[in-house]
Amino acid sequence: MIELQKISKHYPVGFGKNEILKDVDLTIREGEFVSIMGPSGSGKSTLLHILGLLEEPSAGQYLFQGERVDKMNEKKRTQLHRGAIGFVFQAYHLIDELTVYENIETPLLYKNLSGSERKSKVADVLDRFNMVAKKDLFPNQLSGGQQQLVGIARAIVAEPRVILADEPTGNLHSDQAKVIMELFKQLNDQDKITIVQVTHSDLNATYGNRIIQIRDGYIQG
Amino acid sequence: MWKNYFKIAVKNLLKRKLYAGINVFGLATAIACFILLSLYLENEWTYDRWYKNVTELYRLRMDYGEKGEKPVQTALTPNILATAIKDQPEIEKVVRVYHRDVSIRYEDKNWNEKRFLYADAPFFQLFSFPLKSGNAATVLSGPDMVVISASMAKKYFGDTDPVGKILLINGKRSYQVTGVAADAPSNTHLKFDFVASYSTLQLKEYWGSANYYTYVQVQHPAQLESLQASLTALARQQLSDEELNSGASLNFVPERMADIHLHSVAADVTEEKGDMRYNYIFALIGGMLLVIACVNFMNLATARSTERSREVGVRKALGAQRGQLFWQFMMESALLTGIALGIGLLLAKLLLPAFNQLADVHLQMGGTSGYRLYLVLVIVFFLVSFVTGIYPALFLSGFRPVQVLKGSQTATPQGRGIRQSLVVFQFAASIFFIICTLVVQQQMQYIQHKKLGLDRSEVLALNGFKADAQVLEAFKGRLLQLSGVTHVTASAESPVDIQGGYSIDHIEGRPASYALNINALPIEKDYLKTLGINLLSGEDLTHADIADILKEPSEERAYHFFLNETAVKKLGWTPEAAVGKRMMLNGRQGTVKGVMKDFHFTSMKSKIEPIVVFPEYDWFQQIYIKTGGSDKQQVIAAIGALWKEVQPATPFDYHFLDDDFNRMYKSEYRVGAVLGVFATLVMIVSCLGLLGLAALTTQQRTREIGIRKVLGASVTNVVAMLSKDFIRLVVIALVLAVPIAWYAGHNWLNAFAYHASLSMWLFVAAGALAIVVALLTVSLQSLKTATMNPVKSLRAE
Repeated sequence: MIELQKISKHYPVGFGKNEILKDVDLTIREGEFVSIMGPSGSGKSTLLHILGLLEEPSAGQYLFQGERVDKMNEKKRTQLHRGAIGFVFQAYHLIDELTVYENIETPLLYKNLSGSERKSKVADVLDRFNMVAKKDLFPNQLSGGQQQLVGIARAIVAEPRVILADEPTGNLHSDQAKVIMELFKQLNDQDKITIVQVTHSDLNATYGNRIIQIRDGYIQG
Repeated sequence: MWKNYFKIAVKNLLKRKLYAGINVFGLATAIACFILLSLYLENEWTYDRWYKNVTELYRLRMDYGEKGEKPVQTALTPNILATAIKDQPEIEKVVRVYHRDVSIRYEDKNWNEKRFLYADAPFFQLFSFPLKSGNAATVLSGPDMVVISASMAKKYFGDTDPVGKILLINGKRSYQVTGVAADAPSNTHLKFDFVASYSTLQLKEYWGSANYYTYVQVQHPAQLESLQASLTALARQQLSDEELNSGASLNFVPERMADIHLHSVAADVTEEKGDMRYNYIFALIGGMLLVIACVNFMNLATARSTERSREVGVRKALGAQRGQLFWQFMMESALLTGIALGIGLLLAKLLLPAFNQLADVHLQMGGTSGYRLYLVLVIVFFLVSFVTGIYPALFLSGFRPVQVLKGSQTATPQGRGIRQSLVVFQFAASIFFIICTLVVQQQMQYIQHKKLGLDRSEVLALNGFKADAQVLEAFKGRLLQLSGVTHVTASAESPVDIQGGYSIDHIEGRPASYALNINALPIEKDYLKTLGINLLSGEDLTHADIADILKEPSEERAYHFFLNETAVKKLGWTPEAAVGKRMMLNGRQGTVKGVMKDFHFTSMKSKIEPIVVFPEYDWFQQIYIKTGGSDKQQVIAAIGALWKEVQPATPFDYHFLDDDFNRMYKSEYRVGAVLGVFATLVMIVSCLGLLGLAALTTQQRTREIGIRKVLGASVTNVVAMLSKDFIRLVVIALVLAVPIAWYAGHNWLNAFAYHASLSMWLFVAAGALAIVVALLTVSLQSLKTATMNPVKSLRAE
């Protein structure tokens, strides 16, 4: 499903360049639950951003569902975002001005779904996550764990093929983290959603079925 | 989707009340001002353009110059001109208009009326003032007919039908009301309350006196050239060969009706002329306020970019296209603009009466030109929405999500340079308008306090005095017995604005053909004394002198002239040598009795010209009473009682000479007042923007301030640090604004022959004001942040 070939990423720094990723080859098959691990600054977030089409690689090829996306224009890339990729962030990144309901609805708006379709899809997700009672609250009225639940709900509402999660439990305490990770597990098992998470936690990594170690821009082993 | 944009926009506005408040309030203020100034300008620019046949209407101007001097242009023409041209093939109709103040009596009611015109019969055919009753072709067809305006009909007759009623004019003649006209609109220079038939006056027609406006309707606008040729030929015939040889010139020039108000050199009939420069100034202010409010909007929107960048990033990660985000931001600005427009419109409606008073106009909203205003407002809505939205929308929608989402907030506020330039621009504009206001006010002060050479203080003027010399003498005697009255005199024109154009010739020691254009004014014996005009040589008038000019027939009279210094210089005399010289003033034979020290007898816009005053008792219109000391109201009441005995037919109508004086500078006072108010608004709206910007900047620097405080910075240090940046911008603005303001002020002042000098303190004051106001605005925010507990601000990170 995802195929990276000799992907490199570097930023110019002064007269030289700061290499983040070097010749990364990586294949992720449909239905996998992959954990990317590595020390700070090793390039794992950058890798995730490249996977999520938020950043372009400096060199190399990226095939998503067999299609080359590294040279895609913004419009096509946006189409992929909408249809195939969902994001979960460490800092949740909910929109403060919108209610829980509206936050979850937002990706559907960008998919140009009709009002009734949006309504039923959001209702389904709320129901599934047991958040119906909280749908009119604003993010700052929720605990961190609840906010992340909303974040995940928002990520899956548009029924993506893959969820990219950047340290999804990084801001949560262990009980909350457990809930989130079990949810991911469930999405992977039941909904067959491919999941790629970046994590520091060995425990979290055990929920997945593959671990990719990254160090100084290279994939280990 | 649009519904959603709208929803998001509403939420965003509600979330940030200070931000939205500043924007809405600033924009609403600007829009209200814009509306008021648009109404004003619309009125100015539609002046006399609305008559049905306006392209065929002209007023004839007279250009008259003596012995090679630059011709004087005047709108007043001889009454025979109309008769001389009415059979020209180009002419469709001719109407003479003569303006005078009259007193009117109806039953037991008595009023002085200032907007009273005499006009030839086709007046209402030439000018399409609608008649509520009466036939335009016949209302003025014979003598003693008068058409009155609707409001005058109400004033004199209440609800009864005025047609057929009789009005007593000046206590002598009875005029019959033949028609009622709708009140003249605000955009005509022929604002009348009464139009009486010209034939009533039964005047001899001749070329010798020019007191009449001549309006013509041509058969076809294309015939203007041939009309001009006939007029030039006609004018040429009126000059004798002798006059021609001496270099005199005379011509009549048609001026387009639509150009009279703003472009004619000559004054309007019933009001002071418009001034194109002030229209430009008002247009500039209206536009500028709008621009400044838009700048606030853009500045605040981009300054909030850090705050909103996260939202942009998240939305993009969720699949938003740039275009969608663009429209979301555009929707926000459109919503804000819409709200501001609504409030602005309301504000304009509420403030219209105050504005009318300030600018001395009678504007209405949604009157004849309502649709035009709303059309302009629709354009303003789209324009302002677009301008305020486009930059933030492009700027914010262009964020790359990864910059924003990566770890902590690494996106620093961008566009700082542009924001600073815009603040500089706003403050430069504010300072510019403040300096302009100060310049105008300084000049008004200068005019008020300038020594005129005559003493106008506490001089009471009584209007409409009509009586012969004996009655006047008796009245004078009784007035002087009142306590509080020190001197009494009479004259035909206000001494602070003398207009009469005469010429003197047959001057002793000069060739017979030599003539000098001169202003002249008939006076009463105690004129110089009453007005405190000083003599450089010669003597004041005696009773014997007065006896000389009261002789009948007038050929036997021996006149006594007082020339001013300027006239004497022009004639090449010293003040001492001038006394006793013989000369002739428009047929009046006499000698120079004395030389007056120069005094300002007209507006400060003109240099002091030659003038001659001379006793002649046939023309008096006003009594001047110098009062002193005691209770003014009591003196006026006593004078009023006396007046009722002596002039029972005329209402007691008085004013102070100061009022005459101030009226000459009415348009300057007006522009000064309007400028003052709007300059303040420009400043306030600019400060609003600064306030918002300061709030955001300090908010963004909370962490830095926390660290600094932990390291030992005092509150003063922090406030100084935060304020310094803004003050620097204001100083740059000052440097930019001063030269432009100096240039503008200099130009404006140069229109006055006598003007204040542009003093340094003016610029210093404007600069200091701007800095103090900016400092107050900024430090309010800075102080709030600076006094915060650093632990709190650091933990918030």
